[in-house]
Amino acid sequence: MARAVTPQRKIANTAIAWAIGFLIFFPILWTILTSFKTEAQAIASPPIFLNFDWTLENYAIVQERSDYMRFLWNSVIIAGGSTVLGIIIAVPAAWSMAFVPSKRTKDILLWMLSTKMLPAVGVLYPIYLLCIQLGVLDNRAALVVILMLINLPIIVWMLYTYFREIPVDILEAARMDGASLKEELLYILTPMAVPGIASTLLLNFILAWNEAFWTLNLTAVDAAPLTAFIASYSSPEGLFFAKLSAASTMAIAPILILGWFSQKQLVRGLTFGAVK
Amino acid sequence: MSMTDMGGRPGFADRLRDALPKLVLSPSVAIVAIFVYGFIFFTLYLSFTDSRILPSFGWVGWQNYENLFRIRAWDTAVTNLIIFGSLYIIICCALGLLLAILLDQKIRAEGFIRTIYLYPMALSFIVTGVAWKWFLDPGIGLEAVVQGWGWESFEFNWIKDGDMAIYTIVIAAVWQTSGFVMAMFLAGLRGIDSEMLKAAQIDGASTLALYRRIVIPQLRPAFMSAFVVLAHMAIKSYDLVIALTNGGPGTATEVPATFMYSYTFTRNQMGIGAASAVIMLMTIAAIIVPYLWSELREKK
Repeated sequence: MARAVTPQRKIANTAIAWAIGFLIFFPILWTILTSFKTEAQAIASPPIFLNFDWTLENYAIVQERSDYMRFLWNSVIIAGGSTVLGIIIAVPAAWSMAFVPSKRTKDILLWMLSTKMLPAVGVLYPIYLLCIQLGVLDNRAALVVILMLINLPIIVWMLYTYFREIPVDILEAARMDGASLKEELLYILTPMAVPGIASTLLLNFILAWNEAFWTLNLTAVDAAPLTAFIASYSSPEGLFFAKLSAASTMAIAPILILGWFSQKQLVRGLTFGAVK
Repeated sequence: MSMTDMGGRPGFADRLRDALPKLVLSPSVAIVAIFVYGFIFFTLYLSFTDSRILPSFGWVGWQNYENLFRIRAWDTAVTNLIIFGSLYIIICCALGLLLAILLDQKIRAEGFIRTIYLYPMALSFIVTGVAWKWFLDPGIGLEAVVQGWGWESFEFNWIKDGDMAIYTIVIAAVWQTSGFVMAMFLAGLRGIDSEMLKAAQIDGASTLALYRRIVIPQLRPAFMSAFVVLAHMAIKSYDLVIALTNGGPGTATEVPATFMYSYTFTRNQMGIGAASAVIMLMTIAAIIVPYLWSELREKK
């Protein structure tokens, strides 16, 4: 709803909005700044905002002590693997529901979506016990599969909403012109579906990257991703805030960048489509 | 169906075209059915058994549920969830609505600010929780800073105070989500018919009346979605509490999800843990089933 706004009001509103934006961003900004301080400057009172001696030593120490790269690699594999696997399974399902809907499609979709809202604790035991049985606790492949299972409903659902936006008329025209199923899928549908798939990929990667319940509970050392890395850091070295900040900054850096491009997908995915 | 009525036997390609949709849908349906509902039934079953460190299948009826409600930590967890959940939902909705109205005033660089507001939601709370722990710590955070500036009597040690610690979780959670709720309301505001507003303005309605009488009533669907999304997030909240207080001090900030985890894995009471999980599931179901039902009916 847009109404006429006087120039003064507009400047005032903009200033307020920016001030709130700064306030919201401040904890993140402060973490990043602290990561470049020495430990003494990090807890200096009154706090130092910008005029400290910028140093990279925290990053070096964090990497040296806890092998940050290994956790990063685990995060990439778990988040990336589960996302790709989920997409491979979900694309055909979403295609089927979007282009060949039956009477039950809407029900199936909502039923799937509803599972994403259920708490993870509801399925913790069976998955945990299954992992023990199969000897795959603290195993990257197992986490890839688990996170895929957990996020599959939202992937199917996101893809479905994107596929629904593809005009069906074009497909029908292609069919009229004698395109085979393979041609229809390959040359007509795929190019139009790519943006939606990319968006879903992005959102799900972020969700899987941030996933903490499963990664904290089912990993120990070998498969531990960055969430476990930070959680382990925050207890024994709780007083070393500069190093903790360096570790945190490294853990959120990829999402700070991806998040910038994906705010629309984030809203769409997390509101279960209430907001497009 | 495509070619059968044109005479002749349907070719393999046609039959494939007909069967394919069901064929490719089935893996996803099967996965969700087994790994969500199948596993939930397993948890439900466990909650009626005498499972301790490992699952065991001795039937004990409602025993675990009766025991659960006698445990003080569960009582704390439920009370905390009610305090946390209601404050979280109310404050997030209020702030989200205010921020949405603010951003709807044709401000400059709106896209940029919207992204900033949404940032906390995109970041893992395990990580941002660390920053919050810092801010809330009386020794080095806000309290120390304000005292350092000369206001010696300033006190802000909620995170160390058993009675107040739950409110620090509310603060951090509101920070994380209100920008996201803002996005939901903003979309709702953008969908409001501007003709109606113009008409009301011409009739001399004040801005306040405009919002109270026309805008906010029309945001009802947005409120509904916000409520459902926030409520299920509140009940599921786990990493937030783990990162910020780890349930402490003592068990002061225990919530059902952390309770369930600690009862299973540190106290080896799987049966009771399962019972608590089932109660959480039922609570969420009680919120989302009516919502989905109404969604379904509207769209049919």
